[in-house]
Amino acid sequence: MSEVQLKKVLTLRTVVATSAGLTLSSSTFVAAVQVAGFLAGDAAWLAILTGGLLCMTAALCFSELNGMIPSAAGIRLYFSRAFNDRTALTVSILYMAVILGVIGAESYVLAEILNEALPSVPPMVWILVMFLAVTAMNIIGLKLAGGFQDTITYGLMLSLVTLAFIALARVDFHLTAPMDTGGAMGLINAVAVGVFLFVGFEWVTPLAEEVTHSRLISRGMLLAVGLLSIIYAVFTVGMTATVPRAALTGSPIPQLIFARTILGDIGVVWMVTLTLAASITTFNAGLISVSRFIYASAREHVLPPVFSKISMRFFTPWVAVFTIFIIGVAISTIVLFTHRYLVLVNMAAAMESIIYALAGLAVIVLRRKMPYANRPYRIPSGYIIPGVSVVVFSILALAIFVTFPQVFFYLTLGLLICAWYVSRVVPVIKQKYQAKKSAARKRRRPMIQTTKAGD
Amino acid sequence: MATHEEITGSLQAFGEGYQKNKKLKIMNKDWDRVILIKAADVDSQHTLILKNGELTVTEGTPAGDPDLVVTADSETLADLFYGDITPTEPYMNGTLVIKGSEDDIVRLDFISLMIWGE
Repeated sequence: MSEVQLKKVLTLRTVVATSAGLTLSSSTFVAAVQVAGFLAGDAAWLAILTGGLLCMTAALCFSELNGMIPSAAGIRLYFSRAFNDRTALTVSILYMAVILGVIGAESYVLAEILNEALPSVPPMVWILVMFLAVTAMNIIGLKLAGGFQDTITYGLMLSLVTLAFIALARVDFHLTAPMDTGGAMGLINAVAVGVFLFVGFEWVTPLAEEVTHSRLISRGMLLAVGLLSIIYAVFTVGMTATVPRAALTGSPIPQLIFARTILGDIGVVWMVTLTLAASITTFNAGLISVSRFIYASAREHVLPPVFSKISMRFFTPWVAVFTIFIIGVAISTIVLFTHRYLVLVNMAAAMESIIYALAGLAVIVLRRKMPYANRPYRIPSGYIIPGVSVVVFSILALAIFVTFPQVFFYLTLGLLICAWYVSRVVPVIKQKYQAKKSAARKRRRPMIQTTKAGD
Repeated sequence: MATHEEITGSLQAFGEGYQKNKKLKIMNKDWDRVILIKAADVDSQHTLILKNGELTVTEGTPAGDPDLVVTADSETLADLFYGDITPTEPYMNGTLVIKGSEDDIVRLDFISLMIWGE
């Protein structure tokens, strides 16, 4: 049977823009200076490029999985096939919870930036405005068009490189200690947090159903990670070359301090615009992903049915979207009062490392379990790359746990709660649904089918 | 394994459910789509055409390129369009494969939810 073509398909340009756009956010700048903070000399570039290179191994693993199972269900389906449904569900719920935390951290950082630019408006107001705006957009069903996403992402990349070169030119920069990491532990930690810079590149895999060939997703992811590695490396070196490291690492708005230092008020306006553009895409994508996950979970009776309610006017899962609004505002408020946004950033870095390690493991397990399955893309060199992904990302997650024990505590607690929910609560919800379904109506399909099917 | 006729029957039941729901027709007035339904294990293809809120079911492939391609084994397709299972369950376990925009996929699930309930 010949391959059916779709009316509308996405191009490589949009795939790269989506992958990179989801990654570029306000909190990535915070992570970038944290990377620099772990290292002694001008070696931030080394940690960022290493982080990018490692993320490419994960991107290759996602490419093989995505080619084999092209579905918007993503890790939920990959891990279910490789391990089992319970593990897949537990990890997916925990991952979505961490993404909610990232949304919280993101809104806090953005609110701080906007408050810095317009001090008369308190950060809490900005947080509420942002959440209300994005929630309203999602309930009404307004979407950012692909062209808009492309313009924002490529404009942002160009601006970051331009700002970095302006900064380096101003101080007549020369790399003085490009390889001086200050020790192996510092480098490991820097690379581990550096992974956060690329968080979300794999969120492009749900587009697998909208492209002509899954190879486009693979190329898009690799190109996005490659481009981002270079841009982050140049930008971080630019920041640390012009602003004292202590001033950057102690602030939730290092990019604004940097922009003000090199260009004054114009720099502030430029950076506020850039940050808003970066945040709106990540923020919106995060909200869409989590709300759809909540909706789909309710539809497969993993969450109570109330979460599958849809707006009769706009055809959107309004209860799921509104739930995220409540949880998101609560997280942002807590972060606003405690200023512990770094915990969320580090939690996301650790969680992402775990997901990448599991993706590598899934490739290995599926090659053994389903050796003859159709794989449009197969990582070359046997088990080396998925093996490297498993080992390296496990070490990076451990490094974060050792350096930030509270991250380990929160993630373990989250994992236990999710595992308990999946093993104890989900069966009850499914049982209730089955009982309700049997009581409400008979099977619609004519019974002749069941005898024919032999069940 | 379901037959081509059984899948046709399920799609007709789905179409009747759609016709009865006036609200659904109004909501889909601006959602013109061509959906190809393909069985993976038997030779069976159907086309759902949504135009100006009206749904028509035809046997065979569409004249042009479809907006969405829904592929699953015949049993799943028949159960799905009779409303005996939700699309999310086979979608999440990989039995149901849908090619097309994510928004369209979600919309199709909404339609199924509104016709058959939870």
